[in-house]
Amino acid sequence: MKLWYSFIKEMKLSSKSWYFYIELGMAVVLLLILIFVVPENFDTKGEQYIYLDLPQVVVDRFKKDLLEEDLYGAPRFVEVEANNTIYPAELYETEETEIYLLNSMEALNAFSDSERVPTVHIRVNESNQIVQTYYLQGYETQKLKNLLLVFQNRKAGLDVIEEYSENIVVKSLYQDTEPLNDRENVIPVFLTFNGSLMSLFIIAAYIFLDKDEGIIKAYAVTASSVWHYLLSKIGVIIITSIVTTMIVTVPIMGLQPNYPAMLLFLVTSGFFAASLGLFLTSYYKDIAQAFGALYIVIVIMIMPNISYFTPSWDPDWVKIIPSYVMLQSFKEIISVNGNMSYVMLASLGFAVLGMDIFILANYRFKKTLTL
Amino acid sequence: MITVKNLFHSYSNDERYAVNDISFQVEKGEIFGFLGPSGAGKSTTQNILVGLLQLQKGEVQVAGYDVKQIKNKMFNKIGMSFEQSNVYNKMSGLENLEFYGKLFDVETREPMDLIRMVGLDGKEKIKAGEYSKGMKHRLTFARSMINNPEMWFLDEPTTGLDPAIASNIKDIIKEENEKGVTVFLTTHNMYIADELCDRVAFIVDGKIRLIDSPKQLKLKYGEKLVEVEYYRDGELRKESYSTVVEEEKNKLIEVIRGNDIQTMHTKEATLEEIFIKVTGRGLV
Repeated sequence: MKLWYSFIKEMKLSSKSWYFYIELGMAVVLLLILIFVVPENFDTKGEQYIYLDLPQVVVDRFKKDLLEEDLYGAPRFVEVEANNTIYPAELYETEETEIYLLNSMEALNAFSDSERVPTVHIRVNESNQIVQTYYLQGYETQKLKNLLLVFQNRKAGLDVIEEYSENIVVKSLYQDTEPLNDRENVIPVFLTFNGSLMSLFIIAAYIFLDKDEGIIKAYAVTASSVWHYLLSKIGVIIITSIVTTMIVTVPIMGLQPNYPAMLLFLVTSGFFAASLGLFLTSYYKDIAQAFGALYIVIVIMIMPNISYFTPSWDPDWVKIIPSYVMLQSFKEIISVNGNMSYVMLASLGFAVLGMDIFILANYRFKKTLTL
Repeated sequence: MITVKNLFHSYSNDERYAVNDISFQVEKGEIFGFLGPSGAGKSTTQNILVGLLQLQKGEVQVAGYDVKQIKNKMFNKIGMSFEQSNVYNKMSGLENLEFYGKLFDVETREPMDLIRMVGLDGKEKIKAGEYSKGMKHRLTFARSMINNPEMWFLDEPTTGLDPAIASNIKDIIKEENEKGVTVFLTTHNMYIADELCDRVAFIVDGKIRLIDSPKQLKLKYGEKLVEVEYYRDGELRKESYSTVVEEEKNKLIEVIRGNDIQTMHTKEATLEEIFIKVTGRGLV
């Protein structure tokens, strides 16, 4: 009962606190960003800037080839800007690429020098051979460079390349599941940071506020346990994260997510994050002193985001960072036929880990009541 | 009610002790004053007694409980009024008391009775954050009585209060003590200690220098004289008479009977003077 009274009191106090409304406000802001700023699918077409320094007859042949794949069946005459100068260009657009044909070496150099995009100068040499010069920017992979060398220098015939391509086995990461669109794919990031990880920082803010007012000492000399006090705070944090998660998820995803699994995961991951926050705060007197430790935690927790949006960069050490597991779990939860075994295992892991950290935090708080 | 034997405490976990081998006992129904200047070890000792600081070395029993293995139910018997007010600022005075009342396993007092007792009636529904410093202090004081404590720890209970309210607080302490409540009073205010305490302990640099009743201390360290100012033949005279020498006692009676007395003071020492005499230290 004392735990319940403490929880109700914490709910009342939170409803009178700015932090509570900041969290709700942030959830609404994130929702608006998802709806109005993040498109359902990002435009991922590559861009090519080419200058055809060739006899007209060859240029015409080149353009004819381009038109065969052009989505509109005709070139579009556009103006493009590089280095604060406007240049005319012909735009050909295929399924994968936007090809800009520039009309001067000056324009090509401007794009290469100031826009950091790879450009191609195609010309005829003294032996009447077509020479393609790529002006790369330094960030291209060796694989791409090798591919260009092989392809352009005819180190392997087209038939060889085609045969090789056809024999590559492509395994879909999604077996029974449908891939999320780009907007939906951003939601796990918001849920991880606004739902679970914010718990870590918000609970720290609540605790430091109480430490400043000496509330913990007053609680410690009652017949209630310190863990009641700590757990009631965590309860409020979890309720808040459930509300903010629903604000972001329901309008975008409707009934698609597995909501029971989501609730379970929010409770366990929130419990883990809040316990970690409690443990950290037990070492410091105020938020200014704790800022260094909190900052390090923030930076570490952000790292899995890079892996999330760059599947080719997925080292093993990133996978043990809790936010990595949170991102993947939320992704599974909101996907059609998501991997619920992974979510359940992650929930169990966070529950066990959270309990351990909570016990440590409780021990630390009892030991440092006068801090 | 309290037994402390060879208590030590070091914040740096070395031999620099904030509390250095102190022992004392507080009997049931007693008001025991723990007096000393800032940094003497008063709050450290009190925090150990109520479990806010972990017991490092020594033996401490409070209200029948061993503080080394502190149990929640011990706090059903204990009340603690802090020097720094620590109430929920976003809750009203009444809500604060109602909430704390639910954290005990024993019958608790009516919050409104306590509110009235400390003179906060009419302001019980105002958020504590809007209270003045003195009002918050009174609320903290009232909260410490919510569980009808047998053992009442008071840390500077009248600090920052105006004289009328301080007098009210002292009256409450006396009333509660008369009901049988044992009081452990931590203060550097010698006047309140003198007025309330059955016994006082002087603590300086973590060590107890002396424990006795204020009356005994005054008898032991004070001068047994009465100083009288009176008019005789239109002239203001000032004389001192011994209160133990029979001849001087008779002279004093004659002076009182035959003259216009202006002022008359016993020359007994104040607790503060005794403290300085015993410890060689002031109380600031």
